[in-house]
Amino acid sequence: MPSEPALRVEGVSLAHNTPGLDERVHAGEIVGLAGLDGHGQDAFLETLAGLRAPVAGRILVRSGSAGYVEIDDFRHATRLGIAYLARDRRANGIFPSLSILDNFSMVTLGRDRRFGLISPRARRERFERYRERLSIVAPGGNKPITALSGGNQQKVLLARWLAREPRILLLNDPTRGVDQRTRETLYQAFRDLARQEGMALVVLSSELEEIFRLCDRLLVFREQGVVASFSGADMNSSTVIAAMFGRVA
Amino acid sequence: MTAAAPIAGNAPARSRGIGALLAGRRESAPALVILAVLLIVDLWLNRAWMLPGSWGTVIGLAGPTMAAAIASMPAIMAGRGGIDVSIGPLMGFINIILVKVLAGDMGIDQPWVLVPVALAIGALVGLFNGLLSAVLRIQPIVATLGTYLVLSGVTLTLLPAPEGAAPAWLKALAGPYSIVPLAGMATVWLLAKRLTVYDWLMACGSDDRACFTAGIPVTGVRVFAYTLGGLFAGAGGLLLSALLGSADPNVGPTFTLVAISGVALGGVSLAGGRGGFAAAALGAAVIFLLQSTLTYFNVSSFLLHTLYGVILVASVSLNALTGRVAGGPR
Repeated sequence: MPSEPALRVEGVSLAHNTPGLDERVHAGEIVGLAGLDGHGQDAFLETLAGLRAPVAGRILVRSGSAGYVEIDDFRHATRLGIAYLARDRRANGIFPSLSILDNFSMVTLGRDRRFGLISPRARRERFERYRERLSIVAPGGNKPITALSGGNQQKVLLARWLAREPRILLLNDPTRGVDQRTRETLYQAFRDLARQEGMALVVLSSELEEIFRLCDRLLVFREQGVVASFSGADMNSSTVIAAMFGRVA
Repeated sequence: MTAAAPIAGNAPARSRGIGALLAGRRESAPALVILAVLLIVDLWLNRAWMLPGSWGTVIGLAGPTMAAAIASMPAIMAGRGGIDVSIGPLMGFINIILVKVLAGDMGIDQPWVLVPVALAIGALVGLFNGLLSAVLRIQPIVATLGTYLVLSGVTLTLLPAPEGAAPAWLKALAGPYSIVPLAGMATVWLLAKRLTVYDWLMACGSDDRACFTAGIPVTGVRVFAYTLGGLFAGAGGLLLSALLGSADPNVGPTFTLVAISGVALGGVSLAGGRGGFAAAALGAAVIFLLQSTLTYFNVSSFLLHTLYGVILVASVSLNALTGRVAGGPR
């Protein structure tokens, strides 16, 4: 693993009177976040994305030329190479009245520009590439996104962010309401992104099985802080559940 | 999981012909039917309309109504209750500035001065409305009602009663050249459609929260929508001045209600995210034809206002119903 982490978390507190967190996420690594709902893992992921300002501390992203840069807000974070796939795609992800193509291209609109104007053809071609890569089953790009199944909607949203070629991918419960077969495709995609493209992934999941299958390392949250960190053989349901309920030393 | 999904690798097919025109325009279908019916009735009543020589005049008659509807459309499309009720008075204000102040009092009547002035006033007032409602976050209907009152007050102060005469070139915009301003507006819209900001506009109207997690600059996009609407109202001011041929402080405000009814009738969702130039123009054309049909039968103009109200309520209800029946989003 390279010595320079892709993401550095320095003394970040998620609430008042909680100890600051220090974490490092390396390129090619998949880090899991778990905990009982509302114990801070959600807030932590949103803080990494710049959607929520930490009470204290800072998030630093390695940026090619400038060394480490502190993120200010979400738009700034996305410019630094962070992508965030939000929880609950119906409320926070898809644009229900827009087409599949529009939903796909929403964060990379500028890339389809030809002589200053957006070319529908370039957009279709770009979508085709991701459609094949993520095996999205879609009747045609001009159909409304709501014509797709939940799993395929989620794949379109993933494609939306992958099109930005991020270096850090933050996933907030990415397989919620997704069927088993699509899950397998997504898991494979996530692993490939980390192993082959050297992307750093942080995955919040409400299913431990998913975390065990995907993650190299797991942070368990309790009362707005990390109570335990697992990796390798230590990471199994009994140790993790015990940590989630606060029964570890 | 929906089962009816063709095999991957199938290139996205595009429907052609009439299907393509109506694709995703289910909301505009009722207006299209009414338009066809009214057009037949009107052509039968006013047979002179069929002569190519009179098309310019007919379009000139419809021009201000259509421009007002098109000008109201961007703010509505941007969602979160976006609406600009000051479009009518803005067109009236521009009419007074052009015909009374510039052409009448100052003797400036060249097109290369009046046209840019009209567009600039429109865009500036639109920008102001955008700042009030998107940046200061005043409820759009309240913010633009303020602008409505200010503009109609200033207009009446500048000119209490109709007077003056528009220059000949301007009058020609209600005659042989009436298509020019509308074509210009259509060109601007078609260009805007190929810009990033158009997709953002549709996204803002579609879902606020999803915009937030897609990093879309919502405030900027909404300001843009109001400014674009204002620019269209500038063109509307030109068309209104052309049609009136004089400066009239009283007609402008009446266009607001007509425009909003037209937009709703054309199938632009008042909740945002659905519609466009063609829908707004279509709705306004229907309203115009309805006006001229009823005027032909000597129906009172007071009754016309009742009708606008009925159209507004009916088309909004119809939009909501078709959306629900088709199982569409929300």
